[in-house]
Amino acid sequence: MAAELIPSLHRERPHLLKLPAWNAAGDPVSEVRDALLLEPTIQGAVTLLCGSWPLRPGDYRRLMDLLVTASLSLRSVCCLEEEARVAAASLGLTLERPAMVEPVPAASEGPTSPALSIHQGTLRSGDHRHAAGSLLVLGDVNPGAQVSATGHVMVWGRLRGIAHAGRSGDRGARIVALHLHPLQLRIADQVARGPAEAPPAGLAEKAHLVNGRIQIDPADPSWPLGGVPAQLPGLSSSGKGASLA
Amino acid sequence: MTPVTSAPARIILICSGKGGVGKTTLTANLGIALAKLGERTTVLDADFGLRNLDLLLGLENRIVYTAQDVLSETCRLEQALVKHKQQPNLSLLPAGNPRMLEWLTPEDMQKIVKLIATQADYVLIDCPAGVEQGFKNAALASQEAIVITTPEISAVRDADRVIGLLNTMNVTPVQLVLNRVRPKMVANQEMLAVDAVTDILALPLLGLVVEDEQVIVATNRGEPLTLNGSSTAAGKAYHNIARRLRGEDVPLVDPSKERRGIRARLMNKLRQAGLF
Repeated sequence: MAAELIPSLHRERPHLLKLPAWNAAGDPVSEVRDALLLEPTIQGAVTLLCGSWPLRPGDYRRLMDLLVTASLSLRSVCCLEEEARVAAASLGLTLERPAMVEPVPAASEGPTSPALSIHQGTLRSGDHRHAAGSLLVLGDVNPGAQVSATGHVMVWGRLRGIAHAGRSGDRGARIVALHLHPLQLRIADQVARGPAEAPPAGLAEKAHLVNGRIQIDPADPSWPLGGVPAQLPGLSSSGKGASLA
Repeated sequence: MTPVTSAPARIILICSGKGGVGKTTLTANLGIALAKLGERTTVLDADFGLRNLDLLLGLENRIVYTAQDVLSETCRLEQALVKHKQQPNLSLLPAGNPRMLEWLTPEDMQKIVKLIATQADYVLIDCPAGVEQGFKNAALASQEAIVITTPEISAVRDADRVIGLLNTMNVTPVQLVLNRVRPKMVANQEMLAVDAVTDILALPLLGLVVEDEQVIVATNRGEPLTLNGSSTAAGKAYHNIARRLRGEDVPLVDPSKERRGIRARLMNKLRQAGLF
C-alpha cells in the first residue's frame, strides 16, 4: 500500500519512486513521506512512477518540496493518466514512456526478488532492515531497531524493537519470534503496542490479525511460508542430494 | 628514558553515545591504574569541543602545546605530551581548542594516534558524546573499544547504537563497563539489573562500578580515585578493570547479589584481600 523508493544500481540512472495502487482517498505526499523515512540514506535524482494516480500540479509541487528535504530531486515522471501527464508537462518535468522505465527495476533487482531474505546478526538501536517478501532475522532485534517486510517477519531470537509485517497491505502477514517482547507491532495498516510483560522463556509466539486487530498467540509449529525449502534460493529438500551437488 | 618495546600499543576507544555517563572519569582512572601497573599509557582527549580530561587529571595548568600543534608541526609530540606528576608512566595529549573541530579529519586523528602509539603500551582515547563526526574520527583511529553505560534505558539505548556503529567500523573487541550501579535500587527492582543490561547489549562485561560519592570529590580535586590507592568501592572497580584489560583473571561480583548479611560480606572481603 505504501510508496516504495527503489535505489538505482547505476550511478547515472535515477532512483525509482513508485506510488502504490491508486485509491481515491489516498494522499500521494504522505505515501511518499513514509517511503522516504524508510530509506533515509538514498540521495540524488528520482523518477516518479505514478501509475494511475491523477496527480495535479499542486501534488507535484508538494512532492518536489518533500523530495528536496530528503536531498532528492525529481528528474522525470512516468504516468498513465492523461491528466497527470499534462500537469507534469506544464511544470516542465520530463515525461518517460512506461516501456522505458518499467524494465529498469526488473533488471536492477535481478530476475525475481527472493521470497525470503535472511538477515544474520543482531539489529541494534537505530538499525532498520526492510525486505521485499518475507524476512528472517537470525539474531535479536534490540529496542530502537526496526524490521519490516512486505510478507512475514520472523525473528530467530528476541524481538524487542519494532516489527512491521505486510507493509504493502498483506493482512495475512505474521510476525513470529522466539521471544516476542516488542515495543510495537504493525501488521498491514494496524498498529499495536507491545505487551508490558515479557513472555515466558521458551515460548515462541506469533502476532497476527484476528478480526482486524493484532493478537499474540503461541506460534504454530509450521513454517509460515508454506513449502519453505523450495522457496529458499540455493536450498532444496525435495531434490535428492541436489543441494549437496 | 623508558625502553621502546616492540609490542604494538593497544589503542582503545572509550565511548558511550550518551553524555555524562562517565567516559572521561573512566579514561582518567584507567589511565592512572594502567600506569601504576607499569604500562606506558597515553590518554588522548578526542573531545575537542568540550575538553576536560586535563581537569580530571589535574594537568590543566601544565598544558603548553596541544594535539593541534603536533598536527601542524609547530612542536614535536614529546613537547605536547604532558607527563603526570606522580605517575610518570602516564601522559596526556590535550585536545586542541574548539576551533579544531572545523578541520579535523579522520586522517588527522589516525596520524596523531599512530604517532602516540610508537611510544606507548596503551593509548586510551576519550571519545566525545554523540555519534557524529567527532565519534567517527575517534572510532576510525581505534582498534578496540570500551563502551561505558549506566543502568538507565536511555544510556543503554545509546550504547546499543554505538556498538552497532563500532561493529561496522571494524573496532574489535568491544567490551562493556557498567557505571553508577546502585545495588540497593537494583535489589528493589527500581533500577535495571546487571543481567538486563548485558542481555540487551550482548557484550563481555569488563567491569562494574558502583555509585560512589568519592568520584565527585576526586573529579573536583583533579586526582583520580585510582591515584592514591584509595580503598573506595569505585577506585577498586577501576583498578580491577585495568587488570582485566591486561588479561588478568579478576572475578567480577555483581554487587546487587553480593549483600547477603555480615558473614557473606566478610567472606567476600577476605577473598578480595587474598587477591590483592
